[in-house]
Amino acid sequence: MATSSSAGRVLTLCKQFQNVFRISSAITTQHGSSALTKYQPHLHREKSPLAALSWYSPSSSVGQCRALHTTISRRGLDEFFDAPENWGESNVKSGAPWTAKQLRTKSNEDLHKLWYVLLKEKNLLVTLEQESKRQRVQMPSPERTRKVERSMIRLETVVTERETALRLLQTGQEKGRPGAWRRNKCGHIYWYRFKEYAIPWYMNRRYKRKPFFTPKFVQPHIRLRIEKHIRQKARNASLERRTRAELKEKFPQVKVSES
Amino acid sequence: MPVKRLLYPLYQLGNPQLRIFRPSWFLTLVRPGKEQPPDTVQFRIPMEMTKCDVKNYLEKIYNVPVGAVRTRIQFGSNKKRNHLNQKVKQPDFKVAYVQLAQEQTFTFPDIFPEKERVASEGSMDELQEQFMENEKQRQKRDPRRGGVTEWFGL
Repeated sequence: MATSSSAGRVLTLCKQFQNVFRISSAITTQHGSSALTKYQPHLHREKSPLAALSWYSPSSSVGQCRALHTTISRRGLDEFFDAPENWGESNVKSGAPWTAKQLRTKSNEDLHKLWYVLLKEKNLLVTLEQESKRQRVQMPSPERTRKVERSMIRLETVVTERETALRLLQTGQEKGRPGAWRRNKCGHIYWYRFKEYAIPWYMNRRYKRKPFFTPKFVQPHIRLRIEKHIRQKARNASLERRTRAELKEKFPQVKVSES
Repeated sequence: MPVKRLLYPLYQLGNPQLRIFRPSWFLTLVRPGKEQPPDTVQFRIPMEMTKCDVKNYLEKIYNVPVGAVRTRIQFGSNKKRNHLNQKVKQPDFKVAYVQLAQEQTFTFPDIFPEKERVASEGSMDELQEQFMENEKQRQKRDPRRGGVTEWFGL
C-alpha cells in the first residue's frame, strides 16, 4: 500500500514537472513566432488554416491563447490561390476540421476572425476546383472542401448557441425571430414569424387583409380532416398487422422485431 | 453548406442596407474565356450578390481596390438530355467583371504546372515503366549481325 502511494506521488511530481516544461517551451516558441511575424508577415499564409490547427489547439497548454496571432497577411487577389509551392502537387497536406468542442473554448472575436480565415480558404478551394474542371485534371486533395464546410457549420452552431443563451438571459425569447402560433382560414395552426413593417398594423391595409382566423363554416371540414387522418392511420396500422400475421404464418420460426 | 435565408431589413437612411457579420458567400475566381483587359478580373458569384456587395466583399475582406463592377447572369445550358430523353438544366450563375483601381493588373496564374513526376517505389506505374523499357530492349536488333536483314540467316 505504502509503496503504491509513493509511486503515485512520484508520478504526480513528474507530471507537474512535465507541465512546467511544456508551458515554458510553448512560450519560447511563441516568442520565436512573434519575432518572425514582425519581419515577414506574409510567411504565415504558407500554412493553410487547417494545417495550422495544431498551433491553435486548446489542448496543448494554458499559454497557447496568445498563439492566435492577429497579424493580417494581405496578398490581395493571390489569396484566391494556394501557396505557389503547392501548385502542381497531387496531394496537399491539411489538418483536421475544427470540432465544436474546440470552438466553444474560443472567444467571440476569435470565432469572427476564424470565420474569415475559413471563408478565404473555401474561396481558394472553389477557385481551384473550377480551374481543375476547366483544365480537366484531378483536383488536388478534394477532401479539404468538406473539412472547411464542416468547420464552418460547427462555427455557425457555436455562435447561434451563444446568441440563444444571451437572448434567453436578456429577453427570455427562445428564438431570434419572434413569432406566434396562429391559425389560417383552413383551420391549420402554424408558427407565424413576425416581420418588420414601417407602419403599425392597424394602418397597414395589406397586413389587415391577411386572414388569421377560421370561419365558423370551416368547423365541420376540420372535423372531417381529422377523421380522414385517423382513418388513414388506422388503415396503415391494420395493414402492418396483417402483413406481420401473414409472414408469421409463412415463416413460423423467424423472429420479427417489434416496431 | 446550409444556406441561410437572408432577411433584408427595412430601408433606412444610410448605406449599406445589408449588414452581415459572417457572410456565407463564396466567390470563384475564374480564368476569363474571352480575353479581358489586364485590369479586369472575372468572378462567379452567388445569385443574391449585387454589385455593391461584390465591391464591399473584395475591399473589406481581401483589401483589393475595386474600381467598377459589372455583372451578368449566365444561362446554364438545358440542351443535355438524360437517359429518358428529358432536358437537363445546368444551374445558372452570375458572373462579375471587377475592374481594379489604382492601376493594378491581374493575370490568372498557371496553377497546374507540369512537374517532374517520380513514380513511387513498388507502385503500378513504376512496374509498367520497367516492363516497357525491357520490351524496348528486347525488340532492338542484335548489334552483332551488323546491317544484315532479319529474314537472312538460320
